[in-house]
Amino acid sequence: MINVENVSFTYQQECTLKGITFHIDRGEFVALIGSNGAGKSTLSKLLNGLLKPASGTVTINGMDTRKTKSSTLARHIGFLFQNPDRQICKNTVADEIRFGLELVINDKALVQQRLDSTLQRFGFNPDSNPFQLSRGERQRLALASIIAAEPEILILDEPTTGLDYSECTQIMNTINELNSKGVTVVMVCHDMEVVLDYARRILVLSDGRLLADGSTKEIFRAEEVLHKASILPPQIPQLALRLGQGFENAFTVEEMAHSLVARTRPQFFEVKEDAI
Amino acid sequence: MITIEGLTFQYKNSNRNAVEDVHLSIRGGDFLGIIGESGAGKTTLIRAINGIIPHHLPGDYYGSVQIDGEDTFDVTPSAISLKVGTVFQDIDSQMIASVVEDEILFGLENYSIPRDEIEARLSGALDAVGISQLRYRNISHLSGGQKQKVAIAAIIALRPKILLLDEPTSELDPQSSLAIFRLLKELNEKHGLTIIVVEQKIMLLSEFVKELAVMKGGRLLLHGSVRNVLKNTEQIGKSGINCPRVATLSNRLTELGVKLDGVCVTLDEACSMARRLMYD
Amino acid sequence: MKGFLDYALGDTFFHHLNPLIKLLISLLISIAAFISGSHLFIAALIALNLVMAARAGIFQRGVMLLAGLLKFSAFIFILQLLLVRRGNPLLHLPLNLVITDAGLSSAFLIVLRLIAGTMPLAIMLSITQMSDLSNVLVLKCKVPYKYAFALTTAIRFIPIFAGEMAGIIEAQTSRGVEMDTKNLFKKVGLILPLCVPLLITSVKKIEDSAISAEIRGFHLRTGQSCYKRYMVTAGDMAVLAFSAMLIALACIF
Repeated sequence: MINVENVSFTYQQECTLKGITFHIDRGEFVALIGSNGAGKSTLSKLLNGLLKPASGTVTINGMDTRKTKSSTLARHIGFLFQNPDRQICKNTVADEIRFGLELVINDKALVQQRLDSTLQRFGFNPDSNPFQLSRGERQRLALASIIAAEPEILILDEPTTGLDYSECTQIMNTINELNSKGVTVVMVCHDMEVVLDYARRILVLSDGRLLADGSTKEIFRAEEVLHKASILPPQIPQLALRLGQGFENAFTVEEMAHSLVARTRPQFFEVKEDAI
Repeated sequence: MITIEGLTFQYKNSNRNAVEDVHLSIRGGDFLGIIGESGAGKTTLIRAINGIIPHHLPGDYYGSVQIDGEDTFDVTPSAISLKVGTVFQDIDSQMIASVVEDEILFGLENYSIPRDEIEARLSGALDAVGISQLRYRNISHLSGGQKQKVAIAAIIALRPKILLLDEPTSELDPQSSLAIFRLLKELNEKHGLTIIVVEQKIMLLSEFVKELAVMKGGRLLLHGSVRNVLKNTEQIGKSGINCPRVATLSNRLTELGVKLDGVCVTLDEACSMARRLMYD
Repeated sequence: MKGFLDYALGDTFFHHLNPLIKLLISLLISIAAFISGSHLFIAALIALNLVMAARAGIFQRGVMLLAGLLKFSAFIFILQLLLVRRGNPLLHLPLNLVITDAGLSSAFLIVLRLIAGTMPLAIMLSITQMSDLSNVLVLKCKVPYKYAFALTTAIRFIPIFAGEMAGIIEAQTSRGVEMDTKNLFKKVGLILPLCVPLLITSVKKIEDSAISAEIRGFHLRTGQSCYKRYMVTAGDMAVLAFSAMLIALACIF
């Protein structure tokens, strides 16, 4: 589905990506992580053809991004940016979603049908003014107008930055639902808790190189990799690493609580052990 | 030092109160974190403390905000700014100069600080924030974290007693966010600055601040030491924010019947709690 | 054109010129370009601009600026070429259009003037800090600080808006707007509606900026507040004299 072959990229004489190779299959949920300047945003923009590789190839569904127009790629790939205000340019919610749809779908009846179902799904008032919505609502609108077109691949560049916890959860749950229906998701994200909760695979970038590629659980237990990429793992996996043996499978609060209870000395229980 | 009594404010052209009946008193030397979902009234509260409300943004205003016994309603914003400095969320638009040094000079010049005092204040502020090496650098070439430090230095140079920060890390990556909070802690402990910070990242707050306030729908829901506030898992859940996972973990362990001394708010605490449960 | 007008840090002779003198010499060079009717002289002025850029350590930016202006002038060049019907015909085109030697000459002249007239100010502004410019306008020209600040803020915001616009274009390209079209008219048509998001963001940024200045005592500032002093040095006088000489030369050629 997404094939990145030995890709390098140079920006203003600075080599920002060096010899990156990986492959992403349909339906995966991949997080791109790394410290600032590691090349995450550059890589995400290479995936939808906004940037073209200096050497190597990026192919999406068999299409070479260097030989395909961005507008053609946009039919297959939806890209959600951190700042919704760069995307929203119409005066009503319905117009905004329709504008996005008309860019990639020619059939008027289909546009109307998708518009109606999207409005319903997100519970938007079609006539409200996007610029009077809250930041979180605007981000949901930006997401809605992208996924209305039903892209096969969704790329997210820090989709939850600047949002509060409930807004973040709302956005991520929508994305997760799409992923479970087969949409491939690639997400650049700083919030490691979000990465842990949603991504199943992690690509770690450091200094423009692909430092590691593995399942979320593998990566959050790979101390050396995390250290090299200066990434602080989420609290529970970090606690598990510190506690050492016996906590290899504790990634969530629930898993950690049960691993701990199993090892807690009897005098720390309020009631007898059989009550647990 | 700051006494807020029955503060209610409604912006012009709005039909609901942005903050409603807030009572809060903040002592000198405090380090207070304010958290809450968007629209909870956090920014409005900050604006009421630094005098932007009601002096620049009109609306219906009830109650009072007093700083050292002076009602902000009766004092000009520029007089308030000498006591209360504010750092904003949007990093680029709060800058007025192109070079770090000039950014810091701006406020000093405006308040007509004597010429022979300016150099000491300028280098002192840069030093306190740890960016002396950036003095002659071009602001637009700095990283987000460095820019935010410049903004803090520009405020510190005016020597306010209170520093307000409205989501200072919302545009920053985890490392820079951490660096900003380390700096705030140092300014609070070493320089005795009273700090009030609005922040979404609960883990930073629980690690660094002394007191925590949770807002929802314009009201102050919870206020107290971080530990006491984080005990209220249920209320916090309802207010649309998340607990640090280690706090949730210790609350869950209590539910499972494990005897704990209190809620863990940092990773270090969780680690020693777990070790104590397991080993002698 | 990325980085255009963004302050280029440096410690060169040109950086240390009095901000007012920098404005003055760029004005004089522009005037010289418009007075002179000689292609060669104006081309020499462009070369001089590049030399100044090189001495100020921003040669590359100077070249980029030149390239940008050339692209922009292409349109004007063609228009001028086709509109002037005086002189000896060189080439007959369909639709009764004709290219003449006079047309060619005046098209070249206009483009050269445009470039030589724009470059000096762009170069000088790149090596002038906006705060210095407003300070000197207040101190020497007695401009009220509010106006000087408004002017320099406007200039300071240009690169910020340019960056914002680049981000908006990226976002729109990603959703399928054909920004990569080769058709210039189509492209303009696509970009115009994007001014809405730019405007919304700009208004918010300017408001934030105003509040940030206000809480740092902006309105208390007086003409005497400025800490730095701006002298007019021998170097300043020398470049000023040199620019005046260019005007004189322009009158001759």
